[in-house]
Amino acid sequence: MSKIVEISPTTRHEGHSKLVLKVDDAGIIERGDWLSITPVRGVEKLAINKTMDQVPKIASRVCGICPIAHTLAGIESMEGSIRCEIPQDAKLLRIVLQCANRLHSIALHNILILPDFYIPGTDTKVNPFTPEEPVRSVAKRIQRLREIGQTIGEIAGGECIHPSNPRVGGMYKACTPRAVNKMYDLAKEGLTLAHEQMEFMLAVINNMRKRDWVEVGGKQIPLPKTLGFHNQGVMAAHPVYASSNLDENPGWDPKRWTDVRPWDWYMGEGEVSLADPSYPIGGTSPVGTKVNPQMEACTGVPLYDGAPVEVGPRARLVTFKNFDEKGTWGQHIARQLEYTDSLYAMIKALDEYNPSGKVLADNIPQGDGSLGWAANEAPRGCDVHLAKVKDGRVLWYEMLVPTTWNFPTCSRALAGAPWQVAEMVVRGYDPCVSCATHMIVVDEDKKIVAQKLIQ
Amino acid sequence: MEHSSEVKTMGTELGKYKTCVSARSTNKEILKKSQDGGIVTQLFAYALEEGIIDGAIVAGQSDEPYRPRPFIATTVEELMTSRGTRYNISPNVSWIKEATRSFGLDKIGIVGTPCQMQAVRKGQLYPVGLRDVPDKIALAVGIFCMENFPYQSIKQLVEDHAGVKMESVKKMDIGKGKFWVYTERGAVVQLPLKVTHKYEQPGCHVCLDYVANLSDVSTGSVGSPDGWSTVFVRTKKGDDIWGKAIAAGCFETKPIEQVKPGLELVSKLANEKITKNQKTVEERATFGVNKALRNPYISPK
Amino acid sequence: MADKIKAGHVHMSGCTGCEVAIADNYGGLLTLLDKYVDWVYDLTLADVRHIPKMDVALVEGSVCIQDKLSVQEIKETREKSAVVVALGGCACYGNITRFGRGGQPNQPQHESYLPIGDLIKVDVYIPGCAPTPQMIRNVCVAAYLLLKGTKEQQELAKKFLTPLMQLADRSTSACGCDLMYDVINQGLCMGCGSCAAACPVRAITHEYGKPNVNREMCIKCGACYAQCPRSFFNFDVITEFEAILELFDGALK
Ligand SMILES: Cc1cc2nc3c(=O)[nH]c(=O)nc-3n(C[C@H](O)[C@H](O)[C@H](O)COP(=O)(O)OP(=O)(O)OC[C@H]3O[C@@H](n4cnc5c(N)ncnc54)[C@H](O)[C@@H]3O)c2cc1C
Ligand code: SF4
Ligand code: SF4
Ligand code: SF4
Ligand SMILES: [Fe+2]
Repeated sequence: MSKIVEISPTTRHEGHSKLVLKVDDAGIIERGDWLSITPVRGVEKLAINKTMDQVPKIASRVCGICPIAHTLAGIESMEGSIRCEIPQDAKLLRIVLQCANRLHSIALHNILILPDFYIPGTDTKVNPFTPEEPVRSVAKRIQRLREIGQTIGEIAGGECIHPSNPRVGGMYKACTPRAVNKMYDLAKEGLTLAHEQMEFMLAVINNMRKRDWVEVGGKQIPLPKTLGFHNQGVMAAHPVYASSNLDENPGWDPKRWTDVRPWDWYMGEGEVSLADPSYPIGGTSPVGTKVNPQMEACTGVPLYDGAPVEVGPRARLVTFKNFDEKGTWGQHIARQLEYTDSLYAMIKALDEYNPSGKVLADNIPQGDGSLGWAANEAPRGCDVHLAKVKDGRVLWYEMLVPTTWNFPTCSRALAGAPWQVAEMVVRGYDPCVSCATHMIVVDEDKKIVAQKLIQ
Repeated sequence: MEHSSEVKTMGTELGKYKTCVSARSTNKEILKKSQDGGIVTQLFAYALEEGIIDGAIVAGQSDEPYRPRPFIATTVEELMTSRGTRYNISPNVSWIKEATRSFGLDKIGIVGTPCQMQAVRKGQLYPVGLRDVPDKIALAVGIFCMENFPYQSIKQLVEDHAGVKMESVKKMDIGKGKFWVYTERGAVVQLPLKVTHKYEQPGCHVCLDYVANLSDVSTGSVGSPDGWSTVFVRTKKGDDIWGKAIAAGCFETKPIEQVKPGLELVSKLANEKITKNQKTVEERATFGVNKALRNPYISPK
Repeated sequence: MADKIKAGHVHMSGCTGCEVAIADNYGGLLTLLDKYVDWVYDLTLADVRHIPKMDVALVEGSVCIQDKLSVQEIKETREKSAVVVALGGCACYGNITRFGRGGQPNQPQHESYLPIGDLIKVDVYIPGCAPTPQMIRNVCVAAYLLLKGTKEQQELAKKFLTPLMQLADRSTSACGCDLMYDVINQGLCMGCGSCAAACPVRAITHEYGKPNVNREMCIKCGACYAQCPRSFFNFDVITEFEAILELFDGALK
């Protein structure tokens, strides 16, 4: 007889989410539902009739870990709608900003996942905040990498959390040669550290995938070699930056996207029938707790070509670099490989950047209500914003953020694993849940509305 | 030259300072267009050349005569274009964050009135919206200030009261109890200060600082002979930079005790300003009928 | 130094940008945790699921009053914490959630977001979107000195925190208009430009020396007003800027 376990809230990622897991007698997940329980701030709806300049600034505030992606995808969807081409040097500054954010985000994710991993050759898990070596040196290196990313982001973007420099039509300010040199020097320093950190993380990850068990709540839990495997496809719009409807060969296609409501996707009403008070930290939900993912889920379920897809570093490397590792370890490895990639891309953009070039379009049209979209490759995956702008005001706005894409895919990837390692699978996606509090009601033909939820 | 680390105060009206001298730049080029002893421009020029600062926020030129616009100077040539006092508002602090962003500065110099120095220090201690700025203030130079004016006030004073077109003004100055307007053609018009009072910026009437107590180094004309400046060296940073600049021969100095009118006049004017404005602050408490105007020194409420 | 204080981060409806700002003390964060603070609660950075007793709770985000869990958690935070700090624009003033008006799937009834001060008593405000790492550091060090320091340190910490406590007492709403209402209209603006420098969306320009707020850019974070030297200016603290800055900088070295 299968039983239901609930882990709520899940930890060491952004936002509020929980896991509702149907498990067999051996504790193996038969069906997993991972869902957001973060309140829906309703950015897409509050955007209506605000200015095209303000909406991306509000959209940035959806998430403080991927604000760069939201700012840029927001702005570029507006530019897509009004058909505004921005100067090349503005684009280059945006790429620098994008890469800077990716660097800091990978490093931050290292801190969040390390407690799941062992120091190679030992049975000791990593506490990233311990003052003991060798961990302290690693923690310092991570923080320095973050500092480098955030400082570069601040110079190119005005601020590193919620960038102020990007605007519809380009950027407010060009960077001076001094600023460019500073970013360049920081990037070079970052490159050396990123190599070291990547090697360290790869060693830690490879050590983990060789292990047969992992300790959770005082018990040895077997680790399947296929942890986090799923049969869904991947989706990525660009290896580093973004694509939009203004591109000659767009990397994303709105026609291939549909949407279902959680009602059709998640489990219905149920009751927790298995509890483990020894599960870290504070145990799982007590037996008898009512669960109802269908009703509780705060996001919709977007599909690409009719099926859920994975987005993120692994999706990018599979799409553009023939990467063939799968599952949780594959995701972790791909993410580390992006450490140096992001710095190389940044250095290239800085090399091409001309400090005396202009960064604002001469003519910024006010829009006629046409559809524009931009798919930005955020650290944790493809972040698609769609907009219709008329007379400078937003008529319609949608955000298909990375974690929204990943929720259903990850839910499938949970099957087959012992429930005690489910959170490790979730963390492989580097989820950003605040971002994902959203659902889409767009498709003109299908008109999917979640009416049942208003009761 | 000896620098005492002991802090002197001549009553609180002059703030804390380590040394006070009368000084002027040894660079004749600077003095040609500086307001007084060219202290501000010379000190920034030295600090720029020595790498103590990598840029300075000054009051630059705009498209209207004598209307300043904050400007980030990163070369001595750029500094030279911002010499001289413009008696109206230049919101220099508005650039303090951008200086560290698209300008890429790590060591900022900034010049400003006493209230602007207060803004800088509040910004360092309470950097609510000034991420990564506090540790990048390398040299804050304060200029003495009795009051400032809106641009329109200066225009009316110059064009209506003094009868001079703004475009033909060569220099403006407040000193010896008068507002002076010098023209390109050598004419000099003086207005008694009682004419200027009504034109003052209202916010200045609650200001309780005359000699930029919170700067690293502060300077003004009062206390020193024409062409010379009175200089207070206040903080460790200020003391260090001033000492090096003296050693490098940037300034001629005279002990403040040996110049006329000397520190007593500075002290007198400072006390006058503070007493008058303290009274304004107090009167605000009973401005309406059982209704007060805000007092920022007590609470943000 | 004596034992550490217990502090944590409570995530309401925020974006985690405030939390990133905490982490952006970089190496200093490690020192903060080594010497001053036991980080006892934090869903993102730490592994704790349920709100424990704390000396200082840093709360990020506003509260969705249509979400039972959020309302319950903010009340629980108040009960369990000696000092509640509203961290960032959303917790202090609502920030962008002030624009929320519901109607969005999958929870269209999530319509009303309130700054935490409308539901519980808040002790200290750190406005800003995002708040700055340095402001967070200063408040954490001050809170530590207040609870564990010598008598003089306690005095100083109290003086430093007073205006931030007064801000908490002042209002749960703020925006660029406060510069008009409470500075210019009150005859206090002197044209320094701090407000424009502080604004995270470049909504403020200076026209002939005085701020102009583009109200269709302003996101209601309240940074400009808090940064303005004519909102609060506590001479007794700011005059000692040299020593206090040394103290704050030194604490996390
Ligand atoms: C509004 C105002 C009122 C003043 N009142 C007095 C007074 O009562 N008594 C007194 O002794 N001195 C006063 N001063 C200072 C004095 O006029 C000189 O500015 C000072 O002595 C510096 O001269 P200097 O030759 O050393 O500087 P310079 O080498 O000539 O450089 C002057 C510097 O000041 C900057 N500056 C010019 N105008 C402004 C402005 N509006 N806001 C901010 N920065 C500016 C310039 O950018 C430049 O960097 C006042 C200055 C101002 C701006
Ligand atoms: S009088 Fe005070 S408030 Fe007015 S400009 Fe001078 S220093 Fe600023
Ligand atoms: S910060 Fe300065 S310019 Fe802005 S309102 Fe306050 S006093 Fe005026
Ligand atoms: S004007 Fe800017 S700083 Fe002020 S509240 Fe609005 S967004 Fe915040
Ligand atoms: Fe995010």
